[in-house]
Amino acid sequence: MRYIKLPSENFERFFKSLEAWGTLYAPVKKGGIYSFQEVHDPAEVARDYNRTMLPPKKFFFRPKEAILRLKNGRWEEEVEAEPMVLFGLHSCDIHGLKILDKVYLDEPADPYYKSRREKTLIIGISCMPDEYCFCKSLGTHFAMDGFDLFLHELPDGWLVRIGSVRGHEIAWENGELFEEVTDEDLANFKEFEEKRAKAFQKEVPQEGLADMLDLAYNSPVWKKYAEICLACGNCNMVCPTCRCYEVCDSWMDAYSSVRERRYDSCFMENHGLVAGGHNFRPTRLDRFRHRYYCKSYFDPTAGYNCVGCGRCDEFCPAKIEHVKVLEEVRGSLK
Amino acid sequence: MSENPYQTYDARILEVKDLTSREKLFTLRFLDPEVEAKFNFKPGQFVIVDIRGFGEFPISICSSPTRRGYLQLCIRKVGRMTKFVHKMKEGDVVGIRGPYGNGFPMEKMEGSNLILVAGGLGMAPLRSVLWYAIDTGKYENVWLLYGTKAYEDILFRDEIIHLLKHGEAMNCSVKLAYEVESPSCIYLEQGFSDRVCKGVVTDLFRGEEFDVNNTYALICGPPVMYKFVIRELLDRKLSPGRIYMTLERRMRCGVGKCGHCVVGTSVSMKYICQDGPVFTYWDALSTRGLI
Ligand SMILES: Cc1cc2nc3c(=O)[nH]c(=O)nc-3n(C[C@H](O)[C@H](O)[C@H](O)COP(=O)(O)OP(=O)(O)OC[C@H]3O[C@@H](n4cnc5c(N)ncnc54)[C@H](O)[C@@H]3O)c2cc1C
Ligand code: SF4
Ligand code: SF4
Ligand code: FES
Repeated sequence: MRYIKLPSENFERFFKSLEAWGTLYAPVKKGGIYSFQEVHDPAEVARDYNRTMLPPKKFFFRPKEAILRLKNGRWEEEVEAEPMVLFGLHSCDIHGLKILDKVYLDEPADPYYKSRREKTLIIGISCMPDEYCFCKSLGTHFAMDGFDLFLHELPDGWLVRIGSVRGHEIAWENGELFEEVTDEDLANFKEFEEKRAKAFQKEVPQEGLADMLDLAYNSPVWKKYAEICLACGNCNMVCPTCRCYEVCDSWMDAYSSVRERRYDSCFMENHGLVAGGHNFRPTRLDRFRHRYYCKSYFDPTAGYNCVGCGRCDEFCPAKIEHVKVLEEVRGSLK
Repeated sequence: MSENPYQTYDARILEVKDLTSREKLFTLRFLDPEVEAKFNFKPGQFVIVDIRGFGEFPISICSSPTRRGYLQLCIRKVGRMTKFVHKMKEGDVVGIRGPYGNGFPMEKMEGSNLILVAGGLGMAPLRSVLWYAIDTGKYENVWLLYGTKAYEDILFRDEIIHLLKHGEAMNCSVKLAYEVESPSCIYLEQGFSDRVCKGVVTDLFRGEEFDVNNTYALICGPPVMYKFVIRELLDRKLSPGRIYMTLERRMRCGVGKCGHCVVGTSVSMKYICQDGPVFTYWDALSTRGLI
């Protein structure tokens, strides 16, 4: 890894320079919540945001998108991807994208996701956890890869980690904006990371988690929470690793039709419904439990299907807390 | 961008045949000879049928790869899309993508006995195995235990009756269970009293002996059937690794993206579309919710 420093006074110029690489999106505060929006002015960017409502997956796997268009009896593929720069991703969201990559870039790759992913620069930014974050216990609080540049806050600027060839190119083309990293910067970087590590208020103890949950399949805790859950599916929509989709064809006119996909949620009753009306997850309990089992699945090559971003907690209208559910389910084994 | 996995290939309907009042057999061929030549599949795999402008749905291939030049799908009319397909005629064109899924391990099972256990529509994917086994002649004995509701519901009735009569010559013996009595059934039962009976598919196991070290069981049927059939097989000490079953889930993509067919828990998650639809009973023992 190569490390350089971006002094505070050069931030604006650096930020503006990113526009040359593609449409620039960054976290912006709107009402009480943050979201990734197109920005032109660095003043709009909420550099110390906690989390956006929709994760960056929305740029690659859209809430709703056309995948094929029927013209003259043939499906035409439409893979439009414009170059983008996503500025200000937190480490957990970068890990979230890596998990989506595993699904969508695995053969056969999803061409829509892939082309957007290839044309997008990812610029990470350091953060301080709030009461919802539990990424540290999942090992997703620090991104070792999956970004082009990663900016770590220093008292007088940013320590920048360069994570890709394109990251090098940006640094190269804006050489005059960067400085060498000094010992003092390193001390500050270390201090920030230590302070951050201490700031986490929530954690998921990992020892035997997957097996413990599996053993607690019939725990009454699932039932207790399934009864509180509104089955609204919010937690699926905001999760950086949820990616179920439903497909629907609709006619534009007598000659052309479009095949669209849109986010789906495993909380919806028809998620497990098959021919003849048989449903593999007929009750809310089945569906609630399924989501937790899916999120807690441990893939030896990609880790858990949860990165601890805390979105599902913050945006759950029933105030169900992910970590608390896991703890109680695990606890109910004793 | 020809490698778009959601793109489908034109296939012409060569023939439509009524199998029962609910199921029709569609014989298809790809329009593009290159696609046709490249399309190889294994028994137990499925395709996604695309009715342009209406939608897509997964269907098992019910013909055998040993019989080239066409593809057969047995489609039951259950809802919006399948109803539409049932109105289609010879010469019409549909889209096909696939084949998907793992299929049955036909090569691994060579030289062994095969017990095919079919319930209702489960006959469709097993017909592919049946013809594959008969055509290749690479299997010791093939038993087909087939349970249906009524005489009128017997899928591929002519073929089944033909095998009842002449199966021995092909090392293939067919047994049939029906639930609803009718003159036709009684007539069949009189002709083949040792092989046709009133009851459910598990009744066909009665008196059946087989060498558990040289036999594989392949099951396909409605979800309720699995538990009972598996119990019969385990009672006879057939190893879970020799019990194969093909499963169904809602499917949208067929290629492990849409998440609909995911089953299991934190310890083991499986995609029915990619890891299956054929699983062993070991898989079922280690993956909750599989059956
Ligand atoms: C691997 C696999 C192999 C199959 N093989 C065959 C076969 O050989 N012959 C056959 O007749 N059927 C088969 N099916 C079932 C077939 O896919 C459904 O009957 C069909 O999708 C129903 O579509 P529809 O539009 O007519 O029904 P809909 O109008 O959509 O709804 C009818 C019912 O079917 C359910 N359904 C919708 N989409 C699916 C889906 N993709 N998979 C399962 N259920 C769905 C609906 O939830 C509803 O309960 C198979 C399914 C799978 C997963
Ligand atoms: S957001 Fe909360 S209430 Fe809504 S489905 Fe998820 S857990 Fe249930
Ligand atoms: S499950 Fe909740 S905490 Fe975990 S990644 Fe999804 S939204 Fe974030
Ligand atoms: S059908 Fe989409 S993931 Fe299996």
